[in-house]
Amino acid sequence: MKKRTKSDIRRDQLIGLAVFLAAWEITAQIMGNKLVLPAISQIFAALWDLISSGELILALGESIWLLIVGLTISTIIGFILGALVARSRTAYWMLNPYFSALFATPTIALVPLVLVWFGFGFPGRVIVVVLAAVVPIMFSVASGLRDDPKDLVDVARSFGVKGELALLYRVRVRAALPVLLAGLRLAAGRAVVGMAVAETYLRLGGIGGLIKAYGSMFQTDYVFAAILPLSLLGITIVSIIGRIERKLHWT
Amino acid sequence: MKDTMLETPAIELKGIRKTFKLSDSRDADTVLALDDVNLSIRKGEFLTIIGPSGCGKTTLLRIIASLEEADEGEVIVDGEPVTEPGTRRAMVFQTFGLFPWKTVIENVTFPLMIRNFPADEARNTAMRHIKRVGLEKFVDAYPHQLSGGMQQRVGLARALSTGADILLMDEPFGAIDAQTRELMQEELLRIWEEERKTVIFITHDLDEAVLLADRVLLMSRGPGKVREIIPVDLPHPRFDYDVRAHENFAKVRGHIWHQLRNDLVQQREEEVS
Amino acid sequence: MLANLKKPSIWLPLLSLVIVFGGWEIVGRSINPLLFAPPSVVAAQFSELVTSGELAEAAQITMKALFLGYALAVLAGIPFGIVMGAWDRFGDILQPYLYAIFATPRVVVVPLIVVWFGIGFEARLFLVFFWSAIAISVNTAQGVRHARPDLVEVAHSFQASRLQMARHVLIPGAIPFVVAGLRIGAERAIVGVIIGEMFLQIVGLGGVIASGSSELLPAKMLCAVAVIAVMGTIIVTALDMLERRFQSWKGA
Repeated sequence: MKKRTKSDIRRDQLIGLAVFLAAWEITAQIMGNKLVLPAISQIFAALWDLISSGELILALGESIWLLIVGLTISTIIGFILGALVARSRTAYWMLNPYFSALFATPTIALVPLVLVWFGFGFPGRVIVVVLAAVVPIMFSVASGLRDDPKDLVDVARSFGVKGELALLYRVRVRAALPVLLAGLRLAAGRAVVGMAVAETYLRLGGIGGLIKAYGSMFQTDYVFAAILPLSLLGITIVSIIGRIERKLHWT
Repeated sequence: MKDTMLETPAIELKGIRKTFKLSDSRDADTVLALDDVNLSIRKGEFLTIIGPSGCGKTTLLRIIASLEEADEGEVIVDGEPVTEPGTRRAMVFQTFGLFPWKTVIENVTFPLMIRNFPADEARNTAMRHIKRVGLEKFVDAYPHQLSGGMQQRVGLARALSTGADILLMDEPFGAIDAQTRELMQEELLRIWEEERKTVIFITHDLDEAVLLADRVLLMSRGPGKVREIIPVDLPHPRFDYDVRAHENFAKVRGHIWHQLRNDLVQQREEEVS
Repeated sequence: MLANLKKPSIWLPLLSLVIVFGGWEIVGRSINPLLFAPPSVVAAQFSELVTSGELAEAAQITMKALFLGYALAVLAGIPFGIVMGAWDRFGDILQPYLYAIFATPRVVVVPLIVVWFGIGFEARLFLVFFWSAIAISVNTAQGVRHARPDLVEVAHSFQASRLQMARHVLIPGAIPFVVAGLRIGAERAIVGVIIGEMFLQIVGLGGVIASGSSELLPAKMLCAVAVIAVMGTIIVTALDMLERRFQSWKGA
């Protein structure tokens, strides 16, 4: 068996992309149905229109802000709960059932409840993102801190690190970092989904709202043009965290 | 002993040469791993190969097993040049190479099943060798339920049950704890003393190399070459007395270590500069 | 020191349920029982939904789309994944698109599904099928490609034929990955069916949530959410157990 090199794969993928785009364009031109399948050229025209009108930048800004706030709050809550659950058996058995249940429930099913209880404003949207993202963070914090780095704790102790909090910060959190980042990566993926759900089900806003608005006007070319940056946003965030993960080599 | 010299050797290596590419790209730099290795191994001989890491000893064994192809030179088994793995040679792997989805008996019968042996015959042969390595209580266990030493016993039983008369062993006890390793060495030697198969045994453990061998092949690195072949004159069965206390053991071991040490010191100086 | 988390306890979860549900009951009742839906109101709503048959009917509709879509995903995903894995050039070319589709939140694809499949059963089926099939085939392909080189070598050294290699080494080696794909695919399928029922045609358990939302009845929504959560937990736990069974097949 011959191993294909990275440059071989890159070349094949570029050819594949060219073939894919050309096939799409030709099919779309032949079909001539902009509603069902807009041509690549039409999609790019729509994308350019979205960019030059400033609509896309505005929407993306709103979405990214929602993501940042939502993920920050998720991380804080996830850390507190995860540390609690990892260090206390009582907390584990009292809290874990709810979070397992939350993890098993599709976020989308909870959004109508958020609407009724918290309204469709910014807080409601943040709550949707948090509901989507908090559980993986909490689980990863819990499992990361539970795998006790006993040797390292002993080393730190013998060199005079005192107190549970100092040990937690100086040894346990650092030793658990790779697991925490894996949780954060999972959470970021889910947060993007939560964001899109919040923006389409609550009040229309951000990139999700933009897509839904064009969808209800049946402007399929604009729908495609707006989905593209959203996918890119999700992939970029997840791959940035993945890259940081790979930089940490002390797993 | 004299007439064995007239027999065809079990294995003959003629001018083996092998280079490796340093990376995947087409015009990558190459490094010479083995250069002009010539060797002749008698039937029923136990040969151990030792050398500094990176001297190409594993590559050499893989070439003998036809798992890798030499750039130049020939591997001759019993007078016939070979290029494909064959039934006369059986390999024992450093990482055991057991199929995690097969039980002990299924792992041992695997090579026989590949050759379409009747199921009961394969089973009987396998059982006989599983008993020889003392695992009859674990025939239906899965590899992950066994310790490293037990897993390698399965690997050994598998190689033996193929009926091959040449055993190729790539640091087979390297991943096993020291005390178990001693037991495994003893068992291997006992089996060899009974059957007199030809064994080529790679190791990085100096004691092991001397303890088991009829001859020790010492390799040097950069590129891998045969540096010296040292005969080991120690009476069999070797575990009936304290081999390590024998004066020949100390003599051979001391000689090899002296050579090996020179290589290692030189290697370190090269790395520093 | 580290708490012994392994030791299970029945009393702690029970105590915690009493505290949470009791607190919810008292607070909810005193503020607005309709809006905050304390457990007693949810229970009453639940028995009403059960006796009227609304819940059973909804669950049946959901199950039908879920199981049919998932079955199709398994049937299509595994062979497709094998092709992707065995023909590595094809797999390499396709991979980025599948990842991109997989990374795109499905709610934003709903407008496209409407123009392609309408809002009926086929549209929901597609939402279940497509993402689930991607998960299964990507994982299957990974399993086919990640045959352990050491075991391939063992089989080769004993002169296994290509067919024997596939049967004894490649296929068993890929199974843990396929099973992982089945689990991820099932998770995707469950979310897919709910999205379809809330955003396309208001039917099934997702429909119960949507109608509860427009009637401003949180209790009704909670009943459907609970059923979905239980259903999802059962399916995913079962596949999780299957996945763990094959864990040792990954070997060292």
